[in-house]
Amino acid sequence: MIEVSGLAKSFVVAEAGRRRGLAALVPRRGRGGRVVHAVRDVSLHAVDGRITGLLGPNGAGKTTTLRMLAGLLTPDAGQLRVDGIDVVARPREVLARMGMLSDSRGLYPRLTARENIVYYGTLQGMTRDAADARAVELARMFAMTTLLDRRTDGFSQGERMKTALVRALVHDPSNIVLDEPTNGLDVIATRALRENLRWLRSAAGGGKCIVFSTHIMQEVERLCDSVVVVADGRAVASGTVPELLERTGETDFEEAFVKLAFPAETWRPAA
Amino acid sequence: MTPQLRAVMTVLRKELTDALRDRRTLLTVLVSSVLMGPLILVAISGLVASLEAQAEQREVYVAGLANAPTLRNFLERQTYTVKEAPADYEEALRKSRFTDPVVVVHRDFETELARGESPVVEIVSDSANQRSEASAGRIERLLGGFARERVVLNLAMRGVAVQLLEPIDVESRDLASPQTRATRITGMLPYFVMMAVLYGALNAALDTTAGERERGSLEPLLMNPVERWALVIGKWAAVAGVAMLIAVLSSFSFLPGQWVLRSDTLAALFQYGPREAFYFLVVLVPFAAALSAVLMAVAIRCRTFKEAQASATIVLLATSLLPLINIFNLGSDAPWHLWIPALAQNTLMMRVLKGEGFGVADILIPLTVCVVLTLGGIGFVARMLRHAAMK
Repeated sequence: MIEVSGLAKSFVVAEAGRRRGLAALVPRRGRGGRVVHAVRDVSLHAVDGRITGLLGPNGAGKTTTLRMLAGLLTPDAGQLRVDGIDVVARPREVLARMGMLSDSRGLYPRLTARENIVYYGTLQGMTRDAADARAVELARMFAMTTLLDRRTDGFSQGERMKTALVRALVHDPSNIVLDEPTNGLDVIATRALRENLRWLRSAAGGGKCIVFSTHIMQEVERLCDSVVVVADGRAVASGTVPELLERTGETDFEEAFVKLAFPAETWRPAA
Repeated sequence: MTPQLRAVMTVLRKELTDALRDRRTLLTVLVSSVLMGPLILVAISGLVASLEAQAEQREVYVAGLANAPTLRNFLERQTYTVKEAPADYEEALRKSRFTDPVVVVHRDFETELARGESPVVEIVSDSANQRSEASAGRIERLLGGFARERVVLNLAMRGVAVQLLEPIDVESRDLASPQTRATRITGMLPYFVMMAVLYGALNAALDTTAGERERGSLEPLLMNPVERWALVIGKWAAVAGVAMLIAVLSSFSFLPGQWVLRSDTLAALFQYGPREAFYFLVVLVPFAAALSAVLMAVAIRCRTFKEAQASATIVLLATSLLPLINIFNLGSDAPWHLWIPALAQNTLMMRVLKGEGFGVADILIPLTVCVVLTLGGIGFVARMLRHAAMK
């Protein structure tokens, strides 16, 4: 179970263009520069055995939110809990219960897929044998058994993505967080991924709590049990797809999303 | 084993596998750096051997041999073989086709000599042609001997005591031990060994930091429940391990390198045995550790491998230029030299080659410096890791 409430994070961005001549060479001291509010107020509640979508346009603050969830960034305000454990206070315990496919999903090109997966397994505290057995099991599930002993150097986008996903799931986490997992995948790979996520959600697959960030409406419609719409650093709406359609009075989910995410341009939701 | 220690071992093992799979880079480092020292040693020995052979041949090339029967007589009495120089000797010397200096005697040599008119005798060599230059001194001394003999004969005929000509007797005494003299030739070896260690560490250090950033594998790596310092120590241990391996290989490569020394003199002067190799390692192992940490600290700030290579140039430059202080000063050590990384290592290794060795007190200073650099580097990388993962 993943609970996020009132999350906020801002960054200070140095403005390179403002300073000219020699002044630009001197490092800026103190808190000069422009403040960017990447996340202003995001809350979400993802329960076990459900797929929760984090839907928002590019730059809405999805990746920043997920990075805070992984303990890579410390939030300015708000609470993050995974299975009731506070992320800021006990990040390592949280990471042991979470499989995260982040925005960057680089593999080690000189290692085989199996070695890449087993490396993460052992870092998660598994024995090499256990990690290897799990790699084989997951490879069967994701139809990548033939890839296991190849070096990842020449892998296609889809093959890389599968390897990275298996690597994130090697320690059989009860919470799975995926940041735009379908980026760069073709139709077949996307469908396969959807099937796999549905299986992981089911009781047979372990009834995982899955959080899934995307900017693609169709994926949310097809896969997610509930949706949190994020825009400009805020969670502007949440509910199931039919609920959001009903709230906006639309039949097309894309129209509903635009209304929710860009209220100034079209429609302002009643408080 | 605690979980964090286990993580260190896991990272170390993975990074070593990764580094050793990079065959092409590893081979380049091995061939270019590790073999460099012995190859240079062999090249030097070849040069020295040919100079020795030249001296042993006792040959003098004279242009206009027929003009100087007196000189020829003198040279032959010194057991030299006198040969007529080739007609195009100037051209040949300039193009290094001919490696002996040429004595040029003019047509009127004998008559001018008889009249006491100091005939001009030229020794022709090319200072760009090092081997002809090297024997020019020998020929000059030989001609000096000829002149002295003429003087002595002339004075003796007039009844003057020879001692009047030499009011003082100059003798030189060389205090240098054979090894010290040899370091004039072998002095560049520590430099090559340090370069080998540097290049050994370079690629691995950049790959585990900037390379990891460039691949986008650092962010997922940090999503494992492992302390950042454990990740960094594992990475550092792998980089330092590769660098130390290169240090061991290059230190011991001089042992077989010695067998192929072609010059007996050099072989006698260059005393490098297992004991010296051990001393080299005592100096190099902490240096490899510090260098690895510093390179990683420089590279973690860089987004790409290429950017890191550019930044690492500073470290490369410092490591290659600092020992030059020692080379330019020709052996005059100042106490502060031991506090400067690279310079200290060069100084101590030079002492080993001179046959002096060094004590515990001498190694303690550079060792401390290396430990501080290592800890500083590791600490910095650990602090930067989270920030670096996301940019």
